[in-house]
Amino acid sequence: MSRDLAGVWLTEAAVFTLVVAGILAERPWALGATGGALVAAGGLVRFVPRLGAALAGAFARRRAAALAGGAVLALALPLALRSSPYWTFVATLALLYVTTGQGLNFQIGTAGVINLAGAAFAGLGGYAVGLLTVAGGWPAWLAVLVGPWAAVLVGTILFVPILKTRGHYLALVTIAFVFIFNILVNNLEFTGGPQGIKNIPTLSLAGYAFTTRPALAGVELPAHANFYYAALVMAGLTTWVLRRLHDSWLGLALNTLRDDEIAARCCGVSVTRGKLLAFSIGNFFIGLGGAFYAVVVGFVSPPDFDFGYSLVMLSVIIIGGVDSIPGVVLGACLLVPLPERFRFLHEYRLLLYGVVIVVMLLYRPRGLWPARIRRYR
Amino acid sequence: MPPLELLLQQAWNGVMLGVMYALVAVGFTLFFGVLDVIHFSHGDIFMLGAFTGLTVLAGLRAAGVGGALLALPLTFAASILVTGAVGVLAERVCVKPLARASPLMTLLATLSLGLVIREAVLIFYPRGADPKPFPRLLPQGGVELGGVAIRYENLAILGIGLAAMVAVDLVIRRTRMGAAIRAVAQEPEAAQMMGVNLDRTVDATFFLGSGLAAVAGILSGLYYSEIHFIMGVTGGVIGFSAAAIGGLGNVYGAIIGGLLFGVLQTTAAALIPRGSEFRDVVAFAVVMVFLVFKPSGLLGEKSVERV
Repeated sequence: MSRDLAGVWLTEAAVFTLVVAGILAERPWALGATGGALVAAGGLVRFVPRLGAALAGAFARRRAAALAGGAVLALALPLALRSSPYWTFVATLALLYVTTGQGLNFQIGTAGVINLAGAAFAGLGGYAVGLLTVAGGWPAWLAVLVGPWAAVLVGTILFVPILKTRGHYLALVTIAFVFIFNILVNNLEFTGGPQGIKNIPTLSLAGYAFTTRPALAGVELPAHANFYYAALVMAGLTTWVLRRLHDSWLGLALNTLRDDEIAARCCGVSVTRGKLLAFSIGNFFIGLGGAFYAVVVGFVSPPDFDFGYSLVMLSVIIIGGVDSIPGVVLGACLLVPLPERFRFLHEYRLLLYGVVIVVMLLYRPRGLWPARIRRYR
Repeated sequence: MPPLELLLQQAWNGVMLGVMYALVAVGFTLFFGVLDVIHFSHGDIFMLGAFTGLTVLAGLRAAGVGGALLALPLTFAASILVTGAVGVLAERVCVKPLARASPLMTLLATLSLGLVIREAVLIFYPRGADPKPFPRLLPQGGVELGGVAIRYENLAILGIGLAAMVAVDLVIRRTRMGAAIRAVAQEPEAAQMMGVNLDRTVDATFFLGSGLAAVAGILSGLYYSEIHFIMGVTGGVIGFSAAAIGGLGNVYGAIIGGLLFGVLQTTAAALIPRGSEFRDVVAFAVVMVFLVFKPSGLLGEKSVERV
């Protein structure tokens, strides 16, 4: 039994070390070496069945220990990234994408409500925070809690065309909404037009401003560490809540709704109620991600929430694995930092991003961490 | 209320835009017909058509072919060939392999492919980030008809657009390949049993649709005298909207949808305050409301659900 424990924690520590090394590697050969080591380790687990099975078994038996180990490593990340503060910020962004991704996954993956307006709902959360704090003078933490409700509210107005349309027509309705949102915030006076809303006050709790650099036993952490920890708590809570919802009767009902509406209706699942619940819950968490983004960065502007970001959110859940909750975490932690890591490719970055997504879809259509079939004991 | 002349003028301008939208929308609807997918990179193929046209024109000018009467047909032909080939390539690489997967997969794959095309133009076209001036090749000047200014240039654009639509209609209704396209759209398996080569038909459909996008791209360059590498994003969404208004899968519906969208945009611009900024908000909002009442478009098949 203690062999399991050692295996779980050693694996986690090894992956953590390689990832940190990969992030901090400055020379191309060092990056290549760590990347190669990660790929080799992945290949070893995949193509040596006994090793793979042993590790999978160990992780299955020691789930609590594995989660605890992961949590400790996630807490230690800013400490490991001290030499490059920018990466703590990128890690914070990845955690925001975990939050929005979980919300979007609940809509698209669990309930089958295609939503290509993720950027707009995140934008509603972000702009709500901007307006409440700058124009309304609210404290930032209150605005972050209230802001997501703007996304929920506008979502319920949009719900009529969403309920009425199916498939590609539904996709069109949500795409049209992103464009409407973007044109509106770009041209209305109270949203600041193309300039957006600047000088959003930072989070502070009981007089402690989140921009102060935290020190732990004499070791100073990077400037964004406070935000990183707050985002970590938020992403963790979101994942936990949505995991509970996914495993609940509601999640099961939404799954049947996604797979066959008529059959679901025959079993007494209300289509309207189910879709509205899924859509609103999802929008809340998408908006929460946007709201938190506003206080981390300190300003919101139209290009932060254009259609391209809907595409990023969609790729997070599809590459991770549709309707797979750990898949979304994996997708966000891969797709957000990777383009940053490859910034040295300059203009070729987005081109390669597109190519990678297409190749992944062709060869791993079910995602990197596919959803498992529900098991009830 | 603006005077009647202004509304008529805007309606005429809307028809001009509508012809271009319709050409893009016909592509969307044709692809949907044969494979039941939305090919989201179609908007960027439209942009690629415009850039190919510009390149060919520059090449022809360098070679000393200056006359519009000779240069334009050559440009159209070359651009149709190029975008047609890119369209077929896109279909083979990432549309058809995923056609049986969930629509979400094709959605993301074609959106990403559009990103690739867009970025490729941005990077590999000389100074690709700047708007490019498009040469004015059509006759300038115009006449006034009942308070509506009609430029010869616009008449030519309308003529070329209508000719392209008639040509597509003839191909679809009068040729063997057109019959094959219609058969596959109706029932792919039965069509195959009747000896229709499915792969070749799908290729031909994508060639046809993407070629039309090239025509639309060049027309758009001639109309605005300027092209830009991001024109495909809005162009694609508007083309898709037009196809959806008309009913996906119906070619005539797509043409009507395109014209409606164009007229809607320009009349909205005339009727509401700060119209030029908010016209797309109105147009997209109308599309949404329209879909509430007609969830499968004007001429779309009413989908019957079976258990």
